[in-house]
Amino acid sequence: MKNSLLLPNKYKVIGWVIFLLFITLGIFCMLIDFKIQGFQIYNFVGGSFFGDYNLTNEFAVFGITIGLLIIVFTKEKIEDEYISMLRLKSLQWAVLLSYVVLIVLNFSFYGLVFLILLVYNIWTILLIFIIKFYWSLYKLRKEGLQDETINITSSPLKNNL
Amino acid sequence: MKNNLKVQRAIKNITQAELADLIKVSRQTINTIESGKYVPSTVLALKIAKIFDKPVEEIFELEEMDFS
Repeated sequence: MKNSLLLPNKYKVIGWVIFLLFITLGIFCMLIDFKIQGFQIYNFVGGSFFGDYNLTNEFAVFGITIGLLIIVFTKEKIEDEYISMLRLKSLQWAVLLSYVVLIVLNFSFYGLVFLILLVYNIWTILLIFIIKFYWSLYKLRKEGLQDETINITSSPLKNNL
Repeated sequence: MKNNLKVQRAIKNITQAELADLIKVSRQTINTIESGKYVPSTVLALKIAKIFDKPVEEIFELEEMDFS
């Protein structure tokens, strides 16, 4: 089964680099109100109300989103049909859990806090997918390793027979 | 669905990794098929059958519960 939506495996590293760079930028934006000088749009419509608008945090949101998307949409080293199935299962999990998060947020936070949390919620699907998918792969490899040790110890016997 | 992949491998004397290489899947996938956790696609089942030079029915077999 060919999945033409996926990028080649080597893009995974690029995705992580972009994600980590921009999440650092995002954290700086949030904590110390970091702004790249001159990186802004000037909006004179409506007088001084809009004034100028710095794009640093928009840039961070953009980078984090692109980085996460690249991580989610890259192939594994061996992308076979079982991995595809894990991918689908993880995506189902991610969509479901992300809406659970949304419903919980809906009833537990109000006003501006709710809106701020909604902004962070745009990454929930991608983040849950990444956690769930790599956890499944990790479990799969661990089970596989145990089986291989049995295989190795049993193969000399098999040869003797 | 049950299968006797492990037996077939023993007869042909190849490891999971070698079989995986031959049909271009990961070794873990062979492992999940052997343990009955995963039912392979028709294409994969036919590929496996081709490696062992046997009809698919000799390796993969339906069970009662598949009809329920």
